[in-house]
Amino acid sequence: MNAPETSPQSPSEADRAWRVSGQARWRLWEDEAVIYNGRSGDTHHLADFAAWVFGFLSRGPASEAGLTRAAETQIELTSGKAPGDAIARTLDLLRRLDLIERAA
Amino acid sequence: MREQTIFLRLGPFTAALTTPFDKVVEELRRLYPANFFQHQSDFADFHVQLLPGKGMRRHLRPQARFLIDGQEHFKPLPADQALPLVEWGLNYAIAGLAHNYLIVHAAAVEKNGRVAILPGAPGAGKSTLAAGLIHRGWRLLSDELALIRRHDGKVVPLARPVNLKNQSIDLMRRFAPSAVFSTPAHDTVKGTVALMRAPEASLARIDESAPPGWIVFPQWRQGAPARLDNFSRPAGLVEIAHNSMNYSLHGEAGFELLAGIFAKSGCYRFTYGDLNEAASAMNALAAA
Repeated sequence: MNAPETSPQSPSEADRAWRVSGQARWRLWEDEAVIYNGRSGDTHHLADFAAWVFGFLSRGPASEAGLTRAAETQIELTSGKAPGDAIARTLDLLRRLDLIERAA
Repeated sequence: MREQTIFLRLGPFTAALTTPFDKVVEELRRLYPANFFQHQSDFADFHVQLLPGKGMRRHLRPQARFLIDGQEHFKPLPADQALPLVEWGLNYAIAGLAHNYLIVHAAAVEKNGRVAILPGAPGAGKSTLAAGLIHRGWRLLSDELALIRRHDGKVVPLARPVNLKNQSIDLMRRFAPSAVFSTPAHDTVKGTVALMRAPEASLARIDESAPPGWIVFPQWRQGAPARLDNFSRPAGLVEIAHNSMNYSLHGEAGFELLAGIFAKSGCYRFTYGDLNEAASAMNALAAA
């Protein structure tokens, strides 16, 4: 009996890549970032975890899953919890600030 | 009252001031060096007028009005506040028109070829700190508006009189007994204000711009020992952007300009309660 055919699995949300928005300009200093949003004209200061996420994406697109794997080895959250939820919340924050966008 | 027009140099700008207020012109001649005045000029960056009040009020309570290119941007003030009105009006003209510079609401003083930019809200003590430092080896570039040149990030001098308020006036009379002050104006929106002429050494170098070396956010606090604390560069950049008159106009270029300055400058919060201690701390910073 042949296995039923299935359609190719769509990437889950966690596997879709994020990247820094094309109109953003930034500088990274130690564990902080300052970012200019060319669309809104706003200038943002990120520190600690948000700066780490942005800094990671500034080096190339990454998925939520990829960020989570990197964070598990590089970051120790003060809450002691696993970084997955914090990654999701931070990506949402950066998206709403128009500092990151989905990679093509 | 006979109207006269004087052409006054304000750093890189020339202002044509037309006024019948003879006493204001006399005070300006005490506060600015003779070579900053011209009897006539083919060009002025700002055309301003200081005029008496209008209508019946001018007989009851004399007033002064300040106009820029014929437009009145301020409410009239009592005539005995005419001199500070001129200085505030000229600040407004520069801040509103000189967009070839990134303009920060900050004092700027120079030593050893580098500029300390001192941003701060009114009352933080930046003008008092600048007034003290320029009598202890620093050169005045500005007490109110730091003009940062876009193409090279250098600060351009204005070297205009320093605005002092309330207890800072007497403090500076004691700290710099040889300094020249205007007649104080009382009951202004800022309290009692007086203008202090820039030292001759600052005025003589009006054409010398200089690169930033430090961004120092001052805070005067009574009795506090002088203390410089490292301050986050990103936080400092955002704060200086908020203290800028025209950062938003410069867009991405403004961000890149400030980022370049912060990359090469120390960034500090500075608490002080005594000018001598403050000068020692800032001199040590400049010597490092």
